[in-house]
Amino acid sequence: MKRLMNRHPGSIGRVFLTLLPFLLVVLAYAIASDIRLSENPSDKLLPSLTSIGSAVERMAFEPSKRSGDYLLWVDTLASLQRLAWGVGISALLGLVVGIANGVIPYVRANLSPFVTALSLIPPMAILPILFIVFGLGELSKVVLIVVGTAPFIIRDLQSRVLEIPSEQLIKAQTLGASTWQVILRVVLPQILPRLLDAVRLSLGASWLFLIAAEAIAATDGLGYRIFLVRRYLAMDVILPYVAWITLLAFIMDYALRKVSIKLYPWFHGLSKQGTAA
Amino acid sequence: MKKNSFTHVLSLFPKLLALTLVIGLAAPSPALAKDKFRVAWSIYVGWMPWGYGDNAGIVKKWADKYDIEIEVVQINDYVESINQYTAGAFDGCVMTNMDALTIPAASGVDSTALIVGDFSNGNDAVILKGKPSLKDIAGQKINLVELSVSHYLLARALESVGLAEKDVTVVNTSDADMVSAYATAGVTAVTTWNPLVSEILAMPNSHKVFDSSQIPGEIIDMMVVNTKTLAENPKLGKALTGAWYEIMSVMSGTDEAGIAARTAMADASGTDLAGYNAQLASTLMFYQPAEAVKFVNSDALPATMKNVAAFSFDHGLLGEGAQDANFIGIETPAGVVGDNGNIKLRFDPSYMKMAADGKL
Amino acid sequence: MSFIEAKALWKEYGDNTVLERVSVSVEEGEFITIVGASGCGKTTFLKMLLGIETPSRGELLLNGRPLPDEPDSDRGIVFQKYSVFPHLTTLENVLIAKEFPKAGLTGRLFGKRRKAALAEATEALQAVGLEHALDKFPAELSGGMQQRLAIAQSLINQPKILLLDEPFGALDPGIRADMHQLTLELWRKTGITVFMITHDLTEGFYLGTRLWVFDKVRDDPHSPDAYGATITYDIPVGECDHRTLQKLEGSLGGDKENTEQRQQDEQVTTV
Repeated sequence: MKRLMNRHPGSIGRVFLTLLPFLLVVLAYAIASDIRLSENPSDKLLPSLTSIGSAVERMAFEPSKRSGDYLLWVDTLASLQRLAWGVGISALLGLVVGIANGVIPYVRANLSPFVTALSLIPPMAILPILFIVFGLGELSKVVLIVVGTAPFIIRDLQSRVLEIPSEQLIKAQTLGASTWQVILRVVLPQILPRLLDAVRLSLGASWLFLIAAEAIAATDGLGYRIFLVRRYLAMDVILPYVAWITLLAFIMDYALRKVSIKLYPWFHGLSKQGTAA
Repeated sequence: MKKNSFTHVLSLFPKLLALTLVIGLAAPSPALAKDKFRVAWSIYVGWMPWGYGDNAGIVKKWADKYDIEIEVVQINDYVESINQYTAGAFDGCVMTNMDALTIPAASGVDSTALIVGDFSNGNDAVILKGKPSLKDIAGQKINLVELSVSHYLLARALESVGLAEKDVTVVNTSDADMVSAYATAGVTAVTTWNPLVSEILAMPNSHKVFDSSQIPGEIIDMMVVNTKTLAENPKLGKALTGAWYEIMSVMSGTDEAGIAARTAMADASGTDLAGYNAQLASTLMFYQPAEAVKFVNSDALPATMKNVAAFSFDHGLLGEGAQDANFIGIETPAGVVGDNGNIKLRFDPSYMKMAADGKL
Repeated sequence: MSFIEAKALWKEYGDNTVLERVSVSVEEGEFITIVGASGCGKTTFLKMLLGIETPSRGELLLNGRPLPDEPDSDRGIVFQKYSVFPHLTTLENVLIAKEFPKAGLTGRLFGKRRKAALAEATEALQAVGLEHALDKFPAELSGGMQQRLAIAQSLINQPKILLLDEPFGALDPGIRADMHQLTLELWRKTGITVFMITHDLTEGFYLGTRLWVFDKVRDDPHSPDAYGATITYDIPVGECDHRTLQKLEGSLGGDKENTEQRQQDEQVTTV
């Protein structure tokens, strides 16, 4: 008998074990919902799976009575646009400032403590300031995501740049490279896969800030809808929205990982053809 | 073989999980004749007396009198407090007439308005930046807490000048951020409640173009309790009502005790006595139980609730099961609004009547 | 005038004297191997040659002029590890060395110039026996192959000086012997001046035309950092007898086992 730590499930067993907790949660939910509904048929706290299903149909596949929009898709598009802008700007800032901090001592002395201080500010605490400076529109939502995630990405990338062995930077100089060329050909390509990692890690926070921003002032978006229907306890809408957000976040994480493997095989210990080295 | 024993163990999990969920979420309506009760309140001019009454020991005094325990819990998030009540975590909760209809009643939790404390008489207002007339609101973006009484007030305001909601754009904005939102250049119109209204009106170029004194008695603040709990525990109704009117008699006084009570409430709501008095001025408090009984008994109440139900139905607040605004029955002394067979919200003046008759 | 000349060179960090009174001159084409106990300043000396450390006192001259105080393409370097770029394939690692001096803002060559550079890089890789691994990332190469690549990369721009910092220290003895052959071959072909730090005395004797030993001549037991090391032996290789070797071993603090191991290595090397 092998030790437990050395025993691995087969491929069918693996699928089964993966799905099991999800199925259990659905099952447990169905049971609890059934119990509550048998006591109070109008209970909204744990709606039945069928009423969740009809809420999904209503939100995703029927035009809204008030606006004629397909709400789930309108909300998703609005949220994803904000998220893309926020994360995109954060990533770009992280890349530029992180590399400059990491490579150029004068910039590091100038900016590094400032970025550290910035990263320690709880973004939600400065919301009123953000509103007054950036207004209540799309900009302030994007800025909240940027304020919430950029300092983390900058600090992470700065330390990743500093982790590049100094031997490599010296080597590049002995091959005749200028500072710019070292950044462009040695540092940047090695930092890009780490940027993807940092973005993946900050996605959770990005969603958090996105939803917070949408809860505070918005006319559409996934967070907006959840906080709006919370007003009348429409769990039949909230639950599928939460599941949808989770799925979107999972897909993004997966896609970023695949992109990283495709573009930077060396970073994952793979050969140029993508096979294990 | 290995797998079998493994799956056997796993097969226990759904039961355990279900059990946890049932205990955690499905806590059914309160059990029979319990003697410990919890009520929730949140900060608002008309509800501050609950916090004061708790601190001053008035609630405890009345609970002791009826040999029960009442825990008064302050919840910072108003909607969350109603959701908690609806889910069964509280036996009673303060809320407006509209939220009582759209949250607990629409969720099938039969609720009774035990104490009608006040109605908003100018506390809720539509404010425009730089425009003096309500008619100027057409085409504007209006920041408000969507689906709240502010939204209702806006709908009534628009009606009064022959406009409809489609003539404006509603931007859902958290009440916590309303004042800073108004300070930004992009925001030109808000609908909100006090103390935010007075904060915003203090800013230059702000015009109050409509307020709740123009629809008196339509935005009602009340203590709502679970109907079943109340039926099984009349003591709870008596203790809460008795405590409330003792607090009312203290705070309405012009003597030192009255000033001290109002100062304590002002402190707790983050303002000073003058600020709190100003808010009280735009609130019609029913200091005397007889006034409240008269208000509840009037014909105006079912008319108001009909309006509220129509607004709620138009905005989808009565739930998917609702085919029309009459889906939920609302019982008032002057008659039932909506479906007689599905009464979920009751205005019951009997406890306030006892207070008026000195029978508590 | 000598090619490289150190005049009364000192290096101190605060109270810690690392090197003192190093005066030496080197002619073009010499192969200098440097040995010494750890912490005796041989790496500091190499760093000064590289331009990433500056002398505290004294002068270090190249053709009579002070060495530039930052790395440049006159001085190639191969470290024990991290010498190649992990994100580039073997071919790209050498190509980039051709691109840096010639390309401007883009850091890349295009068209005909790229083709010429690629041909040159391929040829250089053939010379070190890596023509079959052009498309591989460094992580896919063995330690010896990585060092071959590092050497090819360092030499392609024809620097005047090649600095080797324990380049073969992490390699297996058999591989090391191959590397010795390759190094000598390239040195003879290019006529480059080589400075090589090694912990392996026999390797030093085998490869170099001249062997330096760094050691402290003065020592204060109460203040071990007060005095620095200097070149205590400067031996034209070939004038080494058994007794000198033993004396050197003693000054390096090497024990008997180490010596035997080195002698075994030596046998492998000379097979």
